[in-house]
Amino acid sequence: MNGARMSDWQAVWTVFLKELKDALRDRRTLMAVFVSSIAMGPIMLVVLSSLVGKFEKRAEAREIVAIGIEAAPTLRNFLERQTFAIKPVPADWEKQLKDSKLGDPVVIVPPDFEDQLAHGQAPRLELVYSSANQRAEGGVSVIRHVLAGFDQEQASLRLVARGVAPGALTVTRVDEHDIADTASRAAQLTGMVPIFVLMAVLYGSLNAALDTTAGERERGSLEPLLATPASRGALVVGKWGAAFALGLLIAVLSCMSFLPAQSMLRSESLAAMFRFGWAEAAWFVAVLAPFAAALSALMMAVAIRSRTVKEAQANNVVLTMAVSLSPMLSLFNQEGESAWNLWVPPMAQSALMNRVLKNAPISPLDVAPSVIVCIVVTTLSLAFVTHQLTRRAAQ
Amino acid sequence: MIAMDDLRKQFTTGRGRQARTVVAVDGLTLHARDGAITGLLGPNGAGKTTSLRMLVGLVAPDSGTIRVDDVDLRTDPQGVRARLGVLSDARGLYPRLTARENIVYHGRLHGVADDVAHARCDHLARLLEMAPLLDRRTDGFSQGERMKTALARALVHDPANIVLDEPTNGLDVVATRALREALRVLRDETGKCIVFSTHIMQEVQRLCDRVVVVAHGRHVADGTVQSLCEQAGSDDFEDAFVKLAFGQEGHAR
Repeated sequence: MNGARMSDWQAVWTVFLKELKDALRDRRTLMAVFVSSIAMGPIMLVVLSSLVGKFEKRAEAREIVAIGIEAAPTLRNFLERQTFAIKPVPADWEKQLKDSKLGDPVVIVPPDFEDQLAHGQAPRLELVYSSANQRAEGGVSVIRHVLAGFDQEQASLRLVARGVAPGALTVTRVDEHDIADTASRAAQLTGMVPIFVLMAVLYGSLNAALDTTAGERERGSLEPLLATPASRGALVVGKWGAAFALGLLIAVLSCMSFLPAQSMLRSESLAAMFRFGWAEAAWFVAVLAPFAAALSALMMAVAIRSRTVKEAQANNVVLTMAVSLSPMLSLFNQEGESAWNLWVPPMAQSALMNRVLKNAPISPLDVAPSVIVCIVVTTLSLAFVTHQLTRRAAQ
Repeated sequence: MIAMDDLRKQFTTGRGRQARTVVAVDGLTLHARDGAITGLLGPNGAGKTTSLRMLVGLVAPDSGTIRVDDVDLRTDPQGVRARLGVLSDARGLYPRLTARENIVYHGRLHGVADDVAHARCDHLARLLEMAPLLDRRTDGFSQGERMKTALARALVHDPANIVLDEPTNGLDVVATRALREALRVLRDETGKCIVFSTHIMQEVQRLCDRVVVVAHGRHVADGTVQSLCEQAGSDDFEDAFVKLAFGQEGHAR
């Protein structure tokens, strides 16, 4: 009874199902992937939002920490009129400020403040902060602004007393207009979301891609597999299908994980700005699908020549680095997005996902380059793996 | 029926100045008929494994022809593989799958329908006395259990020709006996053509209908155990083998 010759597609399907089953039974690896790629993103988002929330609260709080304010009733009066509450300073404030335990800059008022002011001298106020203390640094501009307001009020009073119109000192007026809309402002903070989902795709496919190639060789199951009449191409496509499906599955799950994470956002303005609904999630998955296909094929191509999974992992480090670092390049790039970025995965995917987050329009022409590149990479990689299986089968 | 004629294969190792050419198989001829167990006997490094790999199409021969049931490997490699059941020296299993899943997977890749593959799996489990193992994951199997699973996997599509590369390596006495018994059943009851490579004299004496002796990649003698002894002029098969495989040089050792 020799089995009827199997069609290539049946073989692809058989291999695909087996590899998927095999990968899903690897519970420990799956758990690690789930925790690192699905829970991590939302956790970061929530932590970030609580940080932003604290900044916002500080800005709203209108508090000022001052030493020697009792020697300056005029300044105190001004601050209180601006609805600032004056907080007492802790004894070891300098140390606390250095260690980031004190979240406010400190104003030091000289004891002869009032006297100097009355005699028309300029009393020296000290504004102490630490640029290494991000919380306190955030409050500096507010304090600087309110102290400048005091300065201007006093100057105006002096001019008026001398019969000069205060407008004489105002040469120009500056009106500030921030033209960023809420979505693009939020994208500064949410720019890390694409990096997380790209990494999720990588870790989703990595194990399956390595286990079905180098792992197969390492445990000695490759030779028996190649002794079956299934064509090499069918075996490769089936294996790739499983790695691709797992990468895509993790991508979908990690995109979806941002949906409930939104409701946990502590910062109200961030919650209002970070609009990640079903439509955005669908866009993300659509952008990630061709990338997952190309990446899993490329990882297989890198791994196929390795004799052990360990060797394959070492060879894949460069790929892992490229995937994690290249989206960061565009994050730090001051010149903004260039046209060639759309041709280079994963920069292209990261750029497209950022556009989705900014609510910017995306045309098919923006998507096409990366899709074409991904198809080419997938095809070449799978052809290479098939060629290697045919040539170096038994080595 | 398996016919390998005048097979030659050499490998190049290293690169540039350090490149060295190793002749693995040097004009080997082997004919194995149906309903018989043919032993491929040779010392380590005689080219047994390379020859069997060429038979399956995992290594391309430099020259020579390979035919299985009159199907030529060069023109129809998939047809040849479909007619062979191979237990190679690499007999890795998938540790996260059960023995049954391992066996049925290969059955499906040979084009056997799912229900037929399961039925074959049960039949082979009875033949190889491994029924209690079937639904256990193969992770943690002993050498003997692994060999049985790998053999069942090689036989799941009921091939007319069976090729075994040193199948008793690492097996204890009980497992070796069980394997011998299973091979006899396959030969006598279903008339399979079985090729069996080994370097162990005892196995050949107990099991093989015909023996092909190879040394340095060449065919040096063939016939029944008795005729080989006569050919070498020795009563003891081991002595006969040493004379045939190593010639005078071996005899002097």
